[in-house]
Amino acid sequence: MNIELTPELKALQQEVREYMKTVMTPELIQEMKDDELKEGGGPEFRKQYARMGADGWIGLSWSKELGGKEMSHLEQYIFTDEVVRSGFAYPFLTTEAVTPVIAANANAEVREEVVGGVKQGKVVIAIGYSEPSAGTDLASLKTKAEKDGDHWIINGQKMWTSLANYADYVWLAARTDPDAVKKHKGLTMFLVPTSYEGFSVSPVHTLGVRTNATFYNDIRLPDKYRVGEVNAGWKLITGQLNIERLSLFTHGQVDSLYVDVCQWAAETDAPGGGKLIEQPWVQHNLSRVRSGLEVVKLICWKQAWAMDQGPLDMAEASMAKVYSSEFFVELYRLLLEVMGSAGTIAAHSPGAVLKGRIEFRWRVGSILTFGGGANEIQRDIIAMAGLWMPRTR
Amino acid sequence: MDFVISEELKSVQQLAAQILGDFTEVDKLKAIEAQPERFDEPLWQALADAGLLGLDMEEAHGGMDLGFFSLSMLCEEVGRTVAPVPVVPVLVGAAGTLRRFGTDAQRDKWLPAIASGKTLLSSALEEYQNDDPASPATTATAMAGGYALSGTKICVTAATRAARILVAANAGEEIVVALVDPQAAGITLNEQLVTSGETRHELVLDNVQVPAEDIVARGSEALAAMQWARQATRTALSAMAVGLCDKMMRITGQYTSEREQFGRAIATFQAVSHRVADCYIDVESLRLVSQQAASLIDQGRPAEEASNMAKIWCGDVCHRVSQAAQHCHGGTGVDRDYILFRYCLAARQIELSAGNSARLAGELGQAIAREYLAAAG
Repeated sequence: MNIELTPELKALQQEVREYMKTVMTPELIQEMKDDELKEGGGPEFRKQYARMGADGWIGLSWSKELGGKEMSHLEQYIFTDEVVRSGFAYPFLTTEAVTPVIAANANAEVREEVVGGVKQGKVVIAIGYSEPSAGTDLASLKTKAEKDGDHWIINGQKMWTSLANYADYVWLAARTDPDAVKKHKGLTMFLVPTSYEGFSVSPVHTLGVRTNATFYNDIRLPDKYRVGEVNAGWKLITGQLNIERLSLFTHGQVDSLYVDVCQWAAETDAPGGGKLIEQPWVQHNLSRVRSGLEVVKLICWKQAWAMDQGPLDMAEASMAKVYSSEFFVELYRLLLEVMGSAGTIAAHSPGAVLKGRIEFRWRVGSILTFGGGANEIQRDIIAMAGLWMPRTR
Repeated sequence: MDFVISEELKSVQQLAAQILGDFTEVDKLKAIEAQPERFDEPLWQALADAGLLGLDMEEAHGGMDLGFFSLSMLCEEVGRTVAPVPVVPVLVGAAGTLRRFGTDAQRDKWLPAIASGKTLLSSALEEYQNDDPASPATTATAMAGGYALSGTKICVTAATRAARILVAANAGEEIVVALVDPQAAGITLNEQLVTSGETRHELVLDNVQVPAEDIVARGSEALAAMQWARQATRTALSAMAVGLCDKMMRITGQYTSEREQFGRAIATFQAVSHRVADCYIDVESLRLVSQQAASLIDQGRPAEEASNMAKIWCGDVCHRVSQAAQHCHGGTGVDRDYILFRYCLAARQIELSAGNSARLAGELGQAIAREYLAAAG
């Protein structure tokens, strides 16, 4: 038992931190002020993403055969943590969750096209799972793919297809067997090039970032874009959920907010004299944030370490998701309280504290408590897998 | 970075679990609780015979020298079984401090005796409105060949049974750590019944003469000793709370899976199962912070902040899990014929001991302010 970063991991952390400073160019920061481009997609984003590819930073966890460095999950986590901390809209779901699945299951031609493109920082893939009537109960999705010779005809609608406004492909879950007794046994995975006829996007403006509804109208998709066996898509969806999670709930992104608020409160005058950070109620909030953050850090380290040892314990993985998503929201609240009314001033408005970053983060905070597997489902899993309690009904 | 518990430590844990399990059947616990003092002598001796009292002592002193982490694991198992044995004040507060800060003569004299179960040394680290042993209100006045101590320590465990009690006192410019003999002139022990059901003692020192041979440390060494004792005690109590809360949660998971209302197990109501799932989240969080603090102490690394955070979590989790467990049990949870109440009372005892969540959160907040004010210049 030794719960500390090794010197090698610390060196990697420092290296990535320094490198990411060069990625976050003034041009990119300017570009990201546009809400439409906050999550990437602008020319400067494309330029820096491609530069990361050219510099060999994409696909560190992949096999050497795919051009990766076979980094351990722990190393990969350190990389992810620093990239998220930097604020760069790195497409983790593309690089860490979907691409390895494509590499393992797609045919050679598509594999070369997509995996090679991702490796060079030229390809971004959006996730097409949710639908208007299929959210937490994902297996009930209705978008259908019907075989037509060497092609599939795709019809349906996806919801919350983030990045689809600039992505090159949608990683699409579609129903190929409408008669399957178990709903999740009738699904197949496809890659849909967003340039294809019949594909369209309409924006959905949320409290925070732009996302999309995507429409699939008689798209004729060659069979080579099918990934994995027909009706065997469910395993490809669920197989990468833990990896996805480890890129969503990183420590650095919220730790940096905490550090920024501490610095701000130490420099800001309190009304009665002295600095804001000398006020007991401010110290109280910062202290609660600090002790909660410690658990986020330890959860991340342990999950990453555990993934290098073997399959994750189901209850522990669900615990990590519930704790982190709910604590993030609590952290935003506690840090915004320190700022008082000024905590409500949005980015680019005069007087915004710390460029309104935390005000913005609060607005997107709730997404993670229901997204990525609603917390109610995670608690059900904890009760069953961690405590051997009977299934609720 | 390694979260693995070695095979050696796993076998220590299993051995501890087996011995503690054998001695903590309900009838045995009830018999101990009927005694004036809540101390299971045969169990203590069995732990000694298995080498478990010497986990964190050198082999030369009859110990196994497996480090502080192994001792924290023993504490966790004691928590899991609510065993009536004073592992924290004796093995952490007294023996752990002596091992690291005592003189050779003191270590040679006391550590083998503690490891073998023959003798027991306790520690008294708290005073009224003061749970920091590194800044005691008790005073020490230098005298020929030693110090004279005056002051009051509270909630002292095993005070009547201990050969010596480790205390700290303020000597003006410095603090002094001393072993006081509870039989010495000037000492009064007043019984204090506490929440856990134990009889502890108020230890009143009135000009108690402590000879030089019983002075453990002075000056910066004494300060370091009490900082260590403070961190190690908070960490050991957190580890004990992991065992306690994990067990309470599992008892509750099982009870609600069996208890039927409206024709079904109440665990099949999400409102119930989610409350227990929240306990799981709490217990895993507490496990992580307490393991971190224990591993830092084990490796002699700075652990002030980590042990503080562990104890903050410890207090919060003890409270929440205990309340959830009692609530989900209905009336059974408060019935003294059912096993749960002992855990709830012990959890509350730990929650309020050696620095509670509110106070330590305040201290952590002050430390954060100091750090950032200094950086801001």
